Amino acid sequence: MFRQFSIACVLWLSMFCQQAYAISTIQVQVGEVDAPIGQLKNMQFQVDLKAIEPTLKLHAEVKPIREPAFIPFDLKCAQFNTEKIGHIDCLNGSLVAKQVKMPFSINFVSYPNDFSMNMAFNAASFSDESGLHAGENLTGKIKLAAKNINRSWQWNGSISWDEGELFWQPFYFGKAGNKFDVNGTFKAPLLDIENASLLVNEVGKMTGNAQINTRTNAVKNINVSAKDVDFAGLYSIFLKPMVEKSAFGNLAVSGKADWQFEIKNLEPSSFELNLRDASIEDKNGKFALSQINAHLPWDYDNAKAVSIAYKSGHILNMPLGDTKLSAEVNRYSFTAPQLTLPILDGALNFTDLSAAIIADNWYWHLGMHLTPISMNEFSKTLDWPSMQGKISGQVPQVSYAGKQLMMDGAMTFNVFGGTIGMDNLKIDDPLGVVPRLYADLLMRNLDLGDLTRTFSFGNIEGKLDGDVKNMVLENWKPVYLDASIQTSEGKHVKKISQRAVENITALGGEGTAAALQRTFLRFFKEFNYDKIGLSCKLRQDVCEMGGVESTKTGYVIVKGRGIPSVNVNGYTQNVSLSDLLGRMKRITDGNTKMLVK
Amino acid sequence: MQKLMMGFLIILAALFSANSVNAAADLEVNTPAIAALKNSMQARHTQLAPHYGSGAIGLTSDGLIAVRDTTAVPLRDRQGINALVAAENADRNALYKEIAAGNGHPEWRGDIQSTFAGRWIDKAQGGWWYQKEGSWVKK
Repeated sequence: MFRQFSIACVLWLSMFCQQAYAISTIQVQVGEVDAPIGQLKNMQFQVDLKAIEPTLKLHAEVKPIREPAFIPFDLKCAQFNTEKIGHIDCLNGSLVAKQVKMPFSINFVSYPNDFSMNMAFNAASFSDESGLHAGENLTGKIKLAAKNINRSWQWNGSISWDEGELFWQPFYFGKAGNKFDVNGTFKAPLLDIENASLLVNEVGKMTGNAQINTRTNAVKNINVSAKDVDFAGLYSIFLKPMVEKSAFGNLAVSGKADWQFEIKNLEPSSFELNLRDASIEDKNGKFALSQINAHLPWDYDNAKAVSIAYKSGHILNMPLGDTKLSAEVNRYSFTAPQLTLPILDGALNFTDLSAAIIADNWYWHLGMHLTPISMNEFSKTLDWPSMQGKISGQVPQVSYAGKQLMMDGAMTFNVFGGTIGMDNLKIDDPLGVVPRLYADLLMRNLDLGDLTRTFSFGNIEGKLDGDVKNMVLENWKPVYLDASIQTSEGKHVKKISQRAVENITALGGEGTAAALQRTFLRFFKEFNYDKIGLSCKLRQDVCEMGGVESTKTGYVIVKGRGIPSVNVNGYTQNVSLSDLLGRMKRITDGNTKMLVK
Repeated sequence: MQKLMMGFLIILAALFSANSVNAAADLEVNTPAIAALKNSMQARHTQLAPHYGSGAIGLTSDGLIAVRDTTAVPLRDRQGINALVAAENADRNALYKEIAAGNGHPEWRGDIQSTFAGRWIDKAQGGWWYQKEGSWVKK
């Protein structure tokens, strides 16, 4: 824009240089002009007064001071009037230069100590070399008036456009119907914008003031505030460009907002965002919050209290309930002694939370304990089979640094009459494209009755222990683990139903249901067993299987006891996990055989 | 649009078909991480395709993409173009790393990346731009 402005200045200077006109035609040719704001060469200037309407043509090559090369430049006025001294009208004009095409009409009035300009442009397009400041098909008006009082210019202006789009890095104004009113003073080199108001279509009105040093182009102070504007418009035009590369860069939002920020001496000095009845939803489905009411102040010098409340939401499909949070923000850090995130009938309670942004990266740590959440609700919400029990736990410290979440301490799920402990939890890039989770699981005394009823597997009575070590999930799918499950120590009922035997064998076996049916065993609905066990060393998609004990040809999965007794043996040592999961659904052919003693 | 989609399908087919440059590496290796990255890249492709066609974005010689000509980007997309390219390159870098890891040879990453670079360019549609010896060339 500075370039366009400079071109215009060079142009107007050249126009005022010509004083003598009379008779019918004025032609001026200038080889080269050097001015403080740039250079001009090969200028051909012609005013034709013979026609009913005088016309003007100007061709030149201009080089504003900051440009590396000369730019060809053509200006035409189909109606050029200079009847009164100090008045210039250029109607049906056009300005064409590299990357500028501007049909326009202008009325310019100049006296020694004041001037005014009214300009209308129609379907104008412009762009700078980098394309970072550009407009297309802009139709609108520019007004500017200034008065020199005691060597200080008092000026006011307005720019409005009814059609077209404008991109001013990093902001994009796609909806026409925007108006920018501004007034202030200019005393070289300081441009003081006392009142500026920007009415942006679909956002609302913003007001501000600024001080700019025109010699260095440095903006000294800026203060912008907007009340009760549309949050969706505010987000898409002003906030999204600022947070494009963060987790908040791809949101659908709604609601109302107040917005204020202040820049002093080129540094952000304060900021405030208030949200009313807003909602945000990550378009990648990672998180969402609805009915947000938030007060988010920030000040470079003073600590501020931040508060956020929302009615509902989810993070990675974990449902979040009605929540009120408050914290203190102090320059680039957050602290809160206690935060509670209600989840279904329980809650995640954070203690001693502290977070900081260092070199654009988040670092935080906190303590955490769970107010028990019922598995029944939890499993329903996640569309899992309905489970009974509670999730509870206490984690001394959770930390997040370098996009890695680490849990120092164990979380316990009290489910299926026993416990599942999760320890050594680490998640790399939890909100990224490939989140990677590392953890160990410890299962103790799970009630097989509850478990098998939940997953409709066929009834097994007994207790089960399990260990999953070195578990790695990529994008929440297992790719590495050393797992084993086996019957718990101690006395308890150990019975397996015929259907469960059929299902276990059919997981990897031939038509064992038929095999059972061929023997007298079909008369027994259940059998006693001594041990059940299965192990899997998973490497990528291949599981190296094992059982309660090895045989010459494979391993024992169910070791029977008493009479009648069934053993279920596995023969395939290496099983593809995706096949196994597929089989679990379909229960089709395989290599497991049942031995009947 | 149909043409662009076809182009993309051909590229995908080429990428995940047998690889002759690095005979030992299996470019078809599939892990949950690779699947997630492919999905992410495929979803983004509908946003990128018009910019390949317009010459706004080109294929670099190291298997990534770069903004070639900002002025060719429609104004409404101009602000997001750098973030879009950065996100695509983050996925591409991760993809090369994951394919090397999926082959059990993280040290193959560089070779896999250059194999992919060649394939992206071979299979690019006519009219797309790519980098050759430091300059942009229109295919």
